[in-house]
Amino acid sequence: MSRVAPLRSARPQADPAHPHLRLDPSVCDGVGICAHLAPDLVAVDSWGYPIVSGTALDSKSLRRQADAAARACPRKALHVQ
Amino acid sequence: MSHHLHLADEGRAAGPRQGPRLLDNAAVLPRHGTESLTGVGRQDLPAHRAAHGPRLSHLGHLGDDLVAAMETVHLTGRGGGHFPAAAKWRSVAAHGPGGTVVVNGAEGEPGCAKDAVLLQTRPHLVLDGLVAAIEFIGATEGVVWIHDGAWRTAQSVTHAIAERIAAREGDPPIRVIAAPDRYLSGEATGIIRTLEGGPTLPRWVADPARPWSEGQRPVLVNNAETMARAGLLGHVGVDGYAPTSLLTVINDTYRAVVEVGPDETFDDVVASRWRSPDGHAPQAVLLGGYGGSWVAWERLRHLPVDNAALREHGLSVGAGLLGPLPANACGIEESAALLRYLAGQSARQCGPCLFGLSAASSLVDDLTAGKLSRSGRSTLDRYVGEISGRGACRHPDGALRMLTSGLQVFHDDVHRHRKGRTCNAPNHSVMPLPEEGS
Repeated sequence: MSRVAPLRSARPQADPAHPHLRLDPSVCDGVGICAHLAPDLVAVDSWGYPIVSGTALDSKSLRRQADAAARACPRKALHVQ
Repeated sequence: MSHHLHLADEGRAAGPRQGPRLLDNAAVLPRHGTESLTGVGRQDLPAHRAAHGPRLSHLGHLGDDLVAAMETVHLTGRGGGHFPAAAKWRSVAAHGPGGTVVVNGAEGEPGCAKDAVLLQTRPHLVLDGLVAAIEFIGATEGVVWIHDGAWRTAQSVTHAIAERIAAREGDPPIRVIAAPDRYLSGEATGIIRTLEGGPTLPRWVADPARPWSEGQRPVLVNNAETMARAGLLGHVGVDGYAPTSLLTVINDTYRAVVEVGPDETFDDVVASRWRSPDGHAPQAVLLGGYGGSWVAWERLRHLPVDNAALREHGLSVGAGLLGPLPANACGIEESAALLRYLAGQSARQCGPCLFGLSAASSLVDDLTAGKLSRSGRSTLDRYVGEISGRGACRHPDGALRMLTSGLQVFHDDVHRHRKGRTCNAPNHSVMPLPEEGS
C-alpha cells in the first residue's frame, strides 16, 4: 500500500499562479509528439505513453515547451493549467 | 466460537452506544450475484417508520444540523480515501441550488454485497439519506444507481419509491438507473459522465472537488452505505449512532454480510463468520476489495474493525471486502487470478492501465508457472512504478496495491515459484470472480 499511496499527490489541482503541464490520460493515444517538443517535461513509458513531470513551469523554456506540446497534441490531451 | 460471539454481544449491550444499527443480523448470499439473500428481512415503509420514526425534513437549518452531526461522527465515503461526507455535501451545496444526488449501489467488486443487502433490506434508510442530501443541497432530483442484472435490488428500490409516493411522503423525484455490470460501473466520474449524456466510463477531472463538466449542474455521488448511515444518523442523532462497519466475508460456498462494531477485532469476525476449509487460521486476508491490500493474518488479527484505527496502519475497510486466504491456498496464484481479472476490467481508455496492467499480469502469470526470470522480476517492479498514479481513475492503482501487497505478504510463495516449480496448493479460486460462475 505504501508504495502506491504517495502517488496520490501526483495529481495536484489546477493552480493559475503556478501552471503545470497536465495530461488527461483517458484521451491520450500515445502519439508521442509531446516527448519531442517538451523533452524536459515528458518521458515515454514502456508502452509509448507520456509520463508528464509534475514540476511547475517556472522558466520561460519550460513554459515554451509545455505550450508547444499542448498545441501539437492531436488528441488535445495536454493542458497548461 | 460461540464464546467469542457471546462476549461481543455482551460488550455491545453494555457499551454507551447501543442505538439501532443498519442490520439486525448477518445476511447470507451465494458466492456470485445478489439474487438470493437470507438472514435479514426487508423493512417496508411502515416497518421502517415504526422502527425509526417519521420522515424528517432537512431543509434549511435542519439540513445544517444533520451535516454537523455527520461531521461529529466522522462519516466518510467508502472509497478507501475516507473523504468526509459532510465536506462533500457542503462542497456540492456551494455550487447549488439545483443538481442531482446519486446513491451509488453499483458494487462493481465481485466479492462485495453490502450495498445490495442495504438496498434489498433497508431501502428506506438509504432513501432517507438520499432525500436528506437532496434537501440540504437544494438538488432537483435523486438517482439510485445500480447495475444491470441486479433484479432483486432494482425491485426493492422501485417498490420502496412507490411506497413513499403512495404514503405522500413529499419526496423529490427519484429515478433508478441500471448501469452495465462491470467492475468500473460504480466509478463516480463515470456515473456523472453518464448523467451528462456520455458513456459510463471514468474520466479525468482536473479538480476532484468539482467532478462535473463546465456548465453542467452539480452532482453529489455517495455510496449506498454512506447514504444509509446519513439516513440512520438523522433518526438517531449523534448519541444514538453506532460507528460500525459493513463487511462482506468470503466463504467457500457463500458470502456473509455482517455489521461489525469498532470494539470487535478481525479475530472476532473471522472466528464467528468464516468457515475454515482446513481447520486452520487463514494465512492472510484480502482487505477492502480486489483493489485493496493483502494483510498477513498475524498482523491483522488483533486490530479492531475500525477505519480510524486501521488508517494508522495504512489499511482501510474500503468497500468492505474481508477475504480470508486459507492456509492451504497459494497467495501468488490468487493474486495472479485477481490481477488478470482487474486487467480485463480496464475501461481501456488510459494506456498505462490498458497495456500496463495486462503486461504486469502476464509477468505474474509467469511467476505462478515458475517461469519468471530474475530480469522478468525487475521488469515487473519497473512496470509497477511506471503504471502507478497514471490513470484517469484509481483502477490501476488499486490493482497494483493488491499485487504489491501480495508480493510482500506471500514472499515465501514468490520464492517457491521462482525456483522453477509451482507450489501445488490444493485450494484455488478462493475469491469469487464472475467467469467462475458463468
